[in-house]
Amino acid sequence: MTTRGVALALDAITHRFGHTVAVDSVSLRVEPGEIVALLGPSGCGKTTLLRIVAGLLRQSGGHVAVGGGIVDELPPNERGAGIVFQNYALFPHMTVERNVGYGLRARGEPRAEMAKTVARMLGLVRMDGYASRLPRQLSGGQQQRVALARTLAVSPRVLLLDEPFGALDKNLRLDMQIEVKRLQRELDITTIMVTHDQEEALSLADRVAVMNHGRVEQFARPDEIYDRPASLFVATFVGTASLLRGKLVDGALECAAGRLALGSAVTPAAGAVVVAVRPEHFRFVDDLHAGLDATIELVLPLGPLVIYDVVLRDGTTVKVTTSRGAGVTSHAPGDTVRVGLAAGAPVAVFAE
Amino acid sequence: MTSRTREWQLVLPLALFFALFVFAPLALLGAVSFYNDPTMTTPGVAQYVKFVTDRFNMAVLGQTLWLGLLATVVALVVGYPLAYIYMVAPAALQRVLMLVIVLPLLTSAVVRTFAWVVILGRQGIVNTALTALGLVDTPVRLLYTPWAVVVALAQIQLPLMVLPVITALGNIDPNLRHASHALGAGRWRTFVEVTLPLSAPGLLAGCLLVYAGSVSAFVTQTLVGGGQLMLMPQYMYQQAIQANNYPFAAAVAMILLVAVLAIVVMVNLVTRRTQSLVHG
Repeated sequence: MTTRGVALALDAITHRFGHTVAVDSVSLRVEPGEIVALLGPSGCGKTTLLRIVAGLLRQSGGHVAVGGGIVDELPPNERGAGIVFQNYALFPHMTVERNVGYGLRARGEPRAEMAKTVARMLGLVRMDGYASRLPRQLSGGQQQRVALARTLAVSPRVLLLDEPFGALDKNLRLDMQIEVKRLQRELDITTIMVTHDQEEALSLADRVAVMNHGRVEQFARPDEIYDRPASLFVATFVGTASLLRGKLVDGALECAAGRLALGSAVTPAAGAVVVAVRPEHFRFVDDLHAGLDATIELVLPLGPLVIYDVVLRDGTTVKVTTSRGAGVTSHAPGDTVRVGLAAGAPVAVFAE
Repeated sequence: MTSRTREWQLVLPLALFFALFVFAPLALLGAVSFYNDPTMTTPGVAQYVKFVTDRFNMAVLGQTLWLGLLATVVALVVGYPLAYIYMVAPAALQRVLMLVIVLPLLTSAVVRTFAWVVILGRQGIVNTALTALGLVDTPVRLLYTPWAVVVALAQIQLPLMVLPVITALGNIDPNLRHASHALGAGRWRTFVEVTLPLSAPGLLAGCLLVYAGSVSAFVTQTLVGGGQLMLMPQYMYQQAIQANNYPFAAAVAMILLVAVLAIVVMVNLVTRRTQSLVHG
């Protein structure tokens, strides 16, 4: 099966439900064969956006282009977008075989051809031998494989996955994530997945679009999203970040708790700022001029890591993680420490 | 006493009610039907033999079951689309539609039947309209025909068809429809392959209710049929009240009961199969 990836472009997509704006002027360019995750809290408009791409919902404004052609006027199947629903939406009264062949039957494919494609699809998702089962006789993971096979059987140019792993338990989830990634690479099919699970988005996607209130806050590679969040929302929604409020003076942060030397160069900004720091970028330091006085509140040993909940002089709490290897001094609750930033640690500065 | 045995006591009032007002009369009816003569002196199966060996009696039974079937088909043909329209209608329209659907249940069957008499009579709405439009010279005979009975029964029983179908349609995951469209199926294929089979349990339940209601609807059958058409309920009435032949009337009742029960059991078997397909 050689589905060659096609580019997908969203141009200023806006969607309103009554007076509420669900999707607010979203523009994304997805490269051929890329996996893009739409990540955001519930109600951020990510599922609405996916349904617009699928053709199940007509946007209030903007255009969807698949492979360079605008598909706004086309029904779902003619725009080459295949969607896998969160609950899989397998037809409960049809066998696996009939489910997978549904799209082929709908487009009037000859019987022999259809049987061949169905068998190939079931092989692709490793479900051969289950052709005559009913969906209710399958486990969640198996149902998802069948749903994938059913969608892929009609050779979509773009694969859309709505919260694909939300209904699976944790162990199965990893298996299916690997499986989906394998299929996606094998078929080189442009894929958009919707998720509220940041780990899922960061681990599976080539690029992540973080959405909030119907807008894309940042569209970048996972490491960039994590290291250089474009907004305070991204900094706090993706991963953990401690927020420090103050003013930038000579490349350091002046705040109520003291003066914190920033680990890397930042663009000077006038006025109040918020600095977001990842817990692993904090260090316990001895230098009296580089850190902030703090008291250890809680210690959570977590396998190879230790998470410290630390209270600064002004009452702000920050999270500090250190490795728990040999030769690393450990602290106990109540200890007074000084907290500084690792040299070269990326810091994100936002105007208050 | 365990809680299990105490819970069981909760069904006592209903059980008592059923025993007194359903099973006891039914047993009495059954007992009465097994007398050979109207004065109830010699027990025997003569009434049943008389019923099944007489072509007129069998014709009455056949006609009753056939009319019930026709009424069910009409209710289905009208009711299913109505339920479908209700499901796809916007919320504001749904409230209006629901009122229209249940309105017949809020008036008595007698009132609804008289409405049909007014509509279909010689001086009724239909005939007046046809005459005024010059389509007919003399009033057409509409009332007291089998079709009048079928249409009136279908209308009167319609809510019993529409409500279960609405429930069944509402239980279908809308994503199944979306999935079907996304896979390239049009509206018609989606309806035939997905919506219709998945609504089958409600559809069969509706048919059953309408059928059972139609074959035993004495008032509507008698008033709209006008005695031109002998049907089982009216036959019972005539034999019991006019001919004073209680054993024969009881036998007629038992035969209708068994015939309807047989159909209900058959449809239930089909329903169970379709339900297991839908709900797993």
